[in-house]
Amino acid sequence: MSYRITQACNGCGACKKICPVEAIEGNKKELHVIDEAVCIECGVCGRVCPHNAVLDQFGKQCLMMKRSQWKKPRFDNSACMSCNICIDACPVSCLALSEPVDREKYPHGRPYIREEKACIACGFCAEECPVDAVSMI
Amino acid sequence: MNRGFMGKILIVDLGKKQISQEQVPDTVYERYLSGLGLAAHMLYNRIPPGADPLGPDNILGFVSGLLTGTGSLFTGRWMVVGKSPLTGGWGDANCGGTLSPAIKRCGYDGIFFTGISDKPVYLYVDDKKAELRDASSLWGLDAVEAEETLIKEAGQGARAAVIGPAGEKLSLISGICNDRGRLAARSGLGAVMGSKRLKGVVLCGHKRIRPFSREMVNVLSRKCNNWVKFQLPLGPAVGMGLLGALLRILPTAMAMDGMVYKMILRKWGTGGMNQMSPEWGDAPVKNWKGSCVDWPMKKSKSADPDMVKAHEIMKYHCYSCPLGCGGICSINGKYSETHKPEYESVLALGGLCMNEDSDSLFFLNELLNRAGMDTISAGATVAFAIECFENGILTKDDTEGLDLTWGNTDAIIALIHKMINREGFGDVLADGSKVAAEKIGKGAHKYTIHAGGQEPAMHDGRQDPGFGLHYSVEPTPGRHTIGSGLYYEMFQLWKKVKGLPKLLPFEIYHKNKKYRASIDQAMQAAACSKYMNVINGSGMCMFGSFVGIKRTPTFDWLNAATGWNRTPEEYMEIGERIQTIKQAFNIRHGIDPWANKLSPRALGIPPQAIGANKGRTVNIDKMMKDYWEQFGWDTDTGKPSDETLKRLGIVDQQEG
Repeated sequence: MSYRITQACNGCGACKKICPVEAIEGNKKELHVIDEAVCIECGVCGRVCPHNAVLDQFGKQCLMMKRSQWKKPRFDNSACMSCNICIDACPVSCLALSEPVDREKYPHGRPYIREEKACIACGFCAEECPVDAVSMI
Repeated sequence: MNRGFMGKILIVDLGKKQISQEQVPDTVYERYLSGLGLAAHMLYNRIPPGADPLGPDNILGFVSGLLTGTGSLFTGRWMVVGKSPLTGGWGDANCGGTLSPAIKRCGYDGIFFTGISDKPVYLYVDDKKAELRDASSLWGLDAVEAEETLIKEAGQGARAAVIGPAGEKLSLISGICNDRGRLAARSGLGAVMGSKRLKGVVLCGHKRIRPFSREMVNVLSRKCNNWVKFQLPLGPAVGMGLLGALLRILPTAMAMDGMVYKMILRKWGTGGMNQMSPEWGDAPVKNWKGSCVDWPMKKSKSADPDMVKAHEIMKYHCYSCPLGCGGICSINGKYSETHKPEYESVLALGGLCMNEDSDSLFFLNELLNRAGMDTISAGATVAFAIECFENGILTKDDTEGLDLTWGNTDAIIALIHKMINREGFGDVLADGSKVAAEKIGKGAHKYTIHAGGQEPAMHDGRQDPGFGLHYSVEPTPGRHTIGSGLYYEMFQLWKKVKGLPKLLPFEIYHKNKKYRASIDQAMQAAACSKYMNVINGSGMCMFGSFVGIKRTPTFDWLNAATGWNRTPEEYMEIGERIQTIKQAFNIRHGIDPWANKLSPRALGIPPQAIGANKGRTVNIDKMMKDYWEQFGWDTDTGKPSDETLKRLGIVDQQEG
């Protein structure tokens, strides 16, 4: 199952522009279509659609949200394993590993948001972290 | 249904420039897992007998693991497979880094290349397409330069595997590189990639990897992580060397709990053993003819683990690894950042060549990684050449003026440069010591230490006969990443798998027990081989597995990720099937299993007169036969019997 676009679409192209996997096709001012073989269900199309014309994988209508209201990942360093899973999970590569703050105490890197503006609030980093070190706040 | 694997592979015909995808039936995963098992099934059925390893019929595969991306830990290993030009038989190489999940995120469990391109190309795959692109401008770049260029072009988040100049020049000891110098080094598969004129593979997919139950996988991962986090202070590294000396002197040995090794890895990485191993006879010295007497702690101090660690800027973790045994180091001189030299590299380029120069170990490690040449085989080939020089088989006329004496760092560096570039005398050595001995003649073969053409790693079968056995019987000979007496102790498989020989915690036994070839030993060795096939089918790391089967719950992870409900014994049978199909691959391609037997010197024939392994000989013939018997292979020929093939359901699809 993937996300779908309804007839309410006016072809503004906001979803197409932001989709991290280029799953959305459509000409300006025409109905856009999501390629279900490519869609990764990150939901960002639904968050940016001004006409709430996107349905999620369960058929539920997605509501547009202001970008300032999008949740962002926060990292719990006491639980983090420095294992890179969250970094790999991010479809827009906005996470990276920092250099250690205190090399003697903990010589391992820590994940951080390298490009806050690039984050699409998909939550994959939190979903894939096996030790609950990432939460979306 | 979500089962952890992607269910598809990508087939790229480089000759015809055709790219297609294939669905893989669920039954293949059920019988072979993914990763190495899937690849073994593929290559056994698709590479025709007699195929030239550097010709169009050979298939080069990049595979991820079944557990990769499922939330399980230690599952960031990717593997390259193909018919090895170095051994002539089954070839595989294993590497960490970030490529393994990238393969699956493109929607595939494996990418397989056949044919030969008429010009240098690289494969680019993203969420929507797969295409071959021109790589003419990349040909000649070292592996790090090529990877950086490709990732810069493809964008952040792209992952790449590439060959360096060694692979381009078809060195039979070349490998395939990712993450700025991590190498899938063994079996000479870099040359296969070079022969196909395939410079790299660039992966930019974002597909979701969906296990049957991420929640169940995560519960297991959290428990595993608690074990990995447990760390005791280990004191200064000199203590490791002294412990090695103590272990040498004591008449007894103790069953090792992998938690101890885990703590060593966490603190120093594999290099934690740099001084300990030569002391207790685990590391070969001076082309396998020396011992701790030739390479005492005063000399091995050149690779003091604390000194190496002092160069570390930060720990390096492969994907999904909570341990972080790797390191990013800064060294003076040409390279400002380099991967921390691994134990194998340090010992092959250090003690094996009697090279005491610390800086050169860092330098050569980076140089060889960038060239895409195996540090183990390169070091071993140099050590072989030095011994030939010592015995007058080679002279300065042959070496173009190089004074190839033990520990002559400048000469070693110059020679390795020549090998990488195939310049002059370097061309003779660029394909490893066995090929070099054939070219040199004059009895040089006496000084080659190899198994089936591949140089063994820096673990001595005269100290742990299990290493000598696995070097000799594995379908990919010369590999140290499969089994040994020590590995069996650390895997602790008897805690989950019924019918295996049990050891008590920290059991103390007389060392002589190790040197009596017994059925118990054969069962242990067979269990290691089977288990490592499960590990490699899962994309797991051997070091993670060393923590012990109850703490690193491979079988439980597999059940949680796939939704299967299989017993450990059933998984071990899958491992047996993978091992047998690899052996059947070798038989089909004309390999005589006896011919893979390790060179006599490394088996203690004749035994050493001094040192930690004084007087020891590995009873290799009996051990090989006992091992084959465990698998139902003919004990005289090593060939899997028809009955065994039938029992395991291995059908020869090439013969119909």
